[in-house]
Amino acid sequence: MRFLKPLSDLVFTLLIWTYYIPGFLLFFSPLYVGALIFSSNRRAAFQRLNSLYYRSFFFVVRALIPGLRISVEDRVRSIHSSVIVCNHLSYLDPILLISLFPRHKTVVKGVFFRVPVFGWILRASGYLPSSNGGAEPSGVLEGIADMESFLSSGGNLFIFPEGTRSRDGRIGQFNHGAFRIARRFGAPLKVLFIGGTNDLLPPGRFLFNTRGRKTVEIRLIGDLKPDYGNEDFSIGRLADQVRSLYREETVPHPLEGFSP
Amino acid sequence: MTREEIQSEILRIFKEEFEITNPGLDENLTEKYDFDSIDALDLLGEIETLIGSSLTREEKKASMEIRTINQICDYIEELAEKRPL
Repeated sequence: MRFLKPLSDLVFTLLIWTYYIPGFLLFFSPLYVGALIFSSNRRAAFQRLNSLYYRSFFFVVRALIPGLRISVEDRVRSIHSSVIVCNHLSYLDPILLISLFPRHKTVVKGVFFRVPVFGWILRASGYLPSSNGGAEPSGVLEGIADMESFLSSGGNLFIFPEGTRSRDGRIGQFNHGAFRIARRFGAPLKVLFIGGTNDLLPPGRFLFNTRGRKTVEIRLIGDLKPDYGNEDFSIGRLADQVRSLYREETVPHPLEGFSP
Repeated sequence: MTREEIQSEILRIFKEEFEITNPGLDENLTEKYDFDSIDALDLLGEIETLIGSSLTREEKKASMEIRTINQICDYIEELAEKRPL
């Protein structure tokens, strides 16, 4: 019986990833080609398609893992025109946030921009490469060129300031890039807490943890409108303020409903 | 501006804006201080203030390869050849 759990994890994981690539090729690649040819705003069209694709991905994940509940506060869904920062627990975090926000940008490890097809989609979606690994260095200039109009038209930029997944659930050191961009464009800063994705797909594992009841949650724990023009404003103090919000996240909150 | 003045200004900017104090002149800022591409955008803004004019797109692209304080100083010296500082 001991081998049944890993076996079930393996089977469900293979089914999930089977949807991931063939599902993309079968159902979504024609839509991307259509957006490429016909859309007057290719970046926005690709962002919406990415969001739709990952919504469908999580629909499949939830269908295959009946014990999984995904809870997202309504006020998270209504975020717009903001820079969003979020703690990082699992590879699932960025794609979960993409699924929530049809108009979005994010910072992606530079190395992914070199992956065939995938890297091209990242560029076409207007995502920004971080400098740690192989992307065309000027990519960040292209990604940020339309940021002002992107944010003012309702888009969100989300960034994981830790830059990497936490192995023990605790908040790691912050890079300050997210706070610098928020200041640069005078954007409000929304602080999200994500929980449970490390139970579903732990760091360092290929297999989803499919057994038992588990909950993935996303909550808004901070809605900051920093006075960027104030002479006392400091990027370091803003980052510390955000860190203090995460330190308070030790007590589980009642979960709100999720509507896919 | 002399090379020493440029270097002094850059070190001041790193201390005040990026909370990086006295970095080695040839240290890789990305590897040692996690100075990333987004930080570099802010640095470009500071350089524009320093030289008193906007950078062209090509000049900005060229800056994205820079990794050390000495390279930043070289970069500003090159800009100075095109503009009186």
